[in-house]
Amino acid sequence: MTNSEAAKIVRTILCRGLTIQQTEQIVNAMVPTTVPAGGAVFREEDRAQGLFVLLEGSVEVVKEGGPGGVVVIATVEAPSVLGEMSLITDRPHSATVRARTNCDFRLLTRAQFDRLLQGESLAAYKVVATLADVIAWRLSRMDEKFVELSSRGEYPQPVEELATFKQKLFNEWNY
Amino acid sequence: MSGFEEVNYYFRKAARVMDLSAHVERMLVTPFREVKVDLSITLDNGELGTFIGYRVQHDNSRGPMKGGLRYHPTVDMDEAQGLASLMTWKTAVVNLPFGGAKGGIAVDPKTLSPRELERLTRRFVHQIHDIIGPQRDIPAPDVNTNAQVMAWIMDEYSRMHGFSPAVVTGKPVDLFGSRGREEATGRGAVMALEEYLRDAGLGEVRGKTFAVQGFGNVGSWTSRFLHEKGGKVIAVSDVGGGALNRAGLDITRLLEHARTTRSVAGFPEAEAITNEALLLLDVDVLVPAALGGVINEDNVKEVRAGMVLEAANAPTTPKADEILHQRGVVVLPDIFVNAGGVTVSYFEWAQNIQQFTWEEERITAELARHMREAYATLSRLVRERKVSFRTAAFIVAIGRVGRATVLRGV
Repeated sequence: MTNSEAAKIVRTILCRGLTIQQTEQIVNAMVPTTVPAGGAVFREEDRAQGLFVLLEGSVEVVKEGGPGGVVVIATVEAPSVLGEMSLITDRPHSATVRARTNCDFRLLTRAQFDRLLQGESLAAYKVVATLADVIAWRLSRMDEKFVELSSRGEYPQPVEELATFKQKLFNEWNY
Repeated sequence: MSGFEEVNYYFRKAARVMDLSAHVERMLVTPFREVKVDLSITLDNGELGTFIGYRVQHDNSRGPMKGGLRYHPTVDMDEAQGLASLMTWKTAVVNLPFGGAKGGIAVDPKTLSPRELERLTRRFVHQIHDIIGPQRDIPAPDVNTNAQVMAWIMDEYSRMHGFSPAVVTGKPVDLFGSRGREEATGRGAVMALEEYLRDAGLGEVRGKTFAVQGFGNVGSWTSRFLHEKGGKVIAVSDVGGGALNRAGLDITRLLEHARTTRSVAGFPEAEAITNEALLLLDVDVLVPAALGGVINEDNVKEVRAGMVLEAANAPTTPKADEILHQRGVVVLPDIFVNAGGVTVSYFEWAQNIQQFTWEEERITAELARHMREAYATLSRLVRERKVSFRTAAFIVAIGRVGRATVLRGV
């Protein structure tokens, strides 16, 4: 895949606010990488290399060492982004990503990205802004999930159960 | 199915209609307290007699607990549990300020002399005096216990706690008992029937035909009241046999015959009929007033009566009850029909607390009020929710006990 083809994809999925030149700047800083079907893109607990843009192919995100051995959390189809958090934090990968088919990536390493930031690249700052947006969205999703989980026990609390009973007797069955 | 299981069967059926949670169901079924005591006494021959006494206190959310004490070899914790909960529901249906209890002694009283029976009763009071009382738990007569036994309980309890006639009901009229207590269950049963007949547009007792199984306290008083109101009691039976006269039995003369011969069998103005055949007579109202389980899967298909008035406890098995309901035969349930007994026990207790006596007219009027109000509630529920009278009775009871429970707080 040529750089300009890759630039189109990167622009659609990474940052719509980038101009064509800015996109090319980012794409030029990226390294083309291919992973054959069945190979690991990166492994859980590996030190993060950087942001992967999946241009072609399909991968699965798996968690290892759970009670059932390996659990597939998600499958991701191209075009998509993986490991984007590694541009901001040094934490190791929290899951393993395996190629389901032959995959074509562009990798933006942390070192390259830092260089762009040091050079005060507007493109790099736009990417940071996009990532901040993604994180904010994920945080709000997590808040919703938390509220949902904390209000849903397997059994209702005894106090609530009695309140339900009381309501039933005074409203529905008040004879 | 034992009596205990039947109570729970009907309770669960109502709980399902009300869609109660399993936890709430368990809370309502579980007894407040169960007590099992050793009763050792010296027998007349000098030997040591050892017996076991039981008292199950089921629920006190609506007031002091109330229920009979029976002296019978089959008494055990299971039986007492089921009957105690039945008392909770029964007192709630007729809206008495009582909870439910039951107990007794595993003994065949016929094997004891009167002196031994008195010692055993007083021993029982010693063992449970701290959990009974006019504001805690008020025993009453039941199978093989009578006014004399209640008098002993009242005396023994009063020796320990000071003068306390209200600790038991069913006492002799000469010792703080109430007028109208003896006939209360039969009177209440006939009142229940009259309320239903009026409500259903079926007229009155006069001219209707009845078959009454059992001629003990409940059966004989029920027959008498039906007869007095112009009903035609065409058949009556007891353990000795039965009497049938399709033109209607003369109950006054039958009572006299039963008093002298100790059975209704052989009554000159009637032909003989068996207990089994009596249940299958083509009458307007069938009144089982003796044993439990007499209307069951085996004979229910041949029952031809237009309705069943359950004066006895649990005369209809759950399967038979279901079939009668499907056939549209109305069953007025025991938990409501025979609640007249405990209602007049309540009046006795109230008189003892007040140290005041009521005239018989007042007893009858107050009993009628309780039965009438209970019936009106049941009837409204039956119409609005399309359930049987029995399920309605349990729903009313669960509602009243449940509301008291949650208002007081758990």
